Amino acid sequence: MNNDQVLVARVVANQDSDAFGELVRRHQSQVRNFLRRLTRDESLADDLAQDCFLRAWDKIHTYSGTGTFIGWVLKVAYTTFLQSKRKDKRYGEILEQAGHEPRNNVHDVREEALDLDRLMAILSEEERVILIFSYACGLSHREISDATDMPAGTVKSIIHRAKEKIRTHFEIENYQHG
Amino acid sequence: MKSKIINMADKTSDAEDRLLKSVFDSAPIPDSGFSKKVVFKIRRRIWINRLALPVAAVVGAAFALKPATQLIVALLPLLDVVPIDIVSAPMQLLPQLQTIVLGGMMFAAGVTLFKIIEET
Repeated sequence: MNNDQVLVARVVANQDSDAFGELVRRHQSQVRNFLRRLTRDESLADDLAQDCFLRAWDKIHTYSGTGTFIGWVLKVAYTTFLQSKRKDKRYGEILEQAGHEPRNNVHDVREEALDLDRLMAILSEEERVILIFSYACGLSHREISDATDMPAGTVKSIIHRAKEKIRTHFEIENYQHG
Repeated sequence: MKSKIINMADKTSDAEDRLLKSVFDSAPIPDSGFSKKVVFKIRRRIWINRLALPVAAVVGAAFALKPATQLIVALLPLLDVVPIDIVSAPMQLLPQLQTIVLGGMMFAAGVTLFKIIEET
């Protein structure tokens, strides 16, 4: 049992809000970062992060302990994101805007740093989510598969497709060891 | 030759991965009271959940008290058909019925409150 699991056990057994507070302190940065990357709006992301942790509190008994706790919380965060996107118009507008930023012509990363916003703008939402899980949160393909309810093979092929898009759009095939 | 091609592909892939990681990389976000806010909301929710049932019971009982008393009063004439020795005992208590019900409710609320304080 790692430290997180000990804290989870305390929360499940005694509804220990202090133990849960410690879990929030440990993982808030990663969850907020994930949601900021996804929504590209800090205050919206922080609101969603709060909702995510409240939902995690309600559902913590469903955490089986087989994967990492952060993997499970990120899954909750993703579900929270999807649900609020469906429910709230404000979120939808921000996300819509984020997904339709002007696509510039082909860029060369050697001349100009690969900008996250421009990179996100060329990807579909599905590709964005999976790249964020993989590169911003450092989740394994298996963990991404659990978080998104997609087969691991699909996750791999989406990553491959996204990288292909980035490569084509930003001409990074010649990029060496940046 | 084949392994050389694979190695080149791996190197390109590694370089891409490093580049993507650096693009997505960000400094840790400071807590700045975030976790305290979450814990505060959770504690408030625990209290609301604990109090919801007893409060609902007390409010419900308060609303039900008047009609319940009226119902009992309305049913009293029916007691005439029951033999007098069976009726006599409750009849003596009936004037204090409201006090008894109120006392029962206060006792239940007290027990619940005590339980909450004990658990906290």
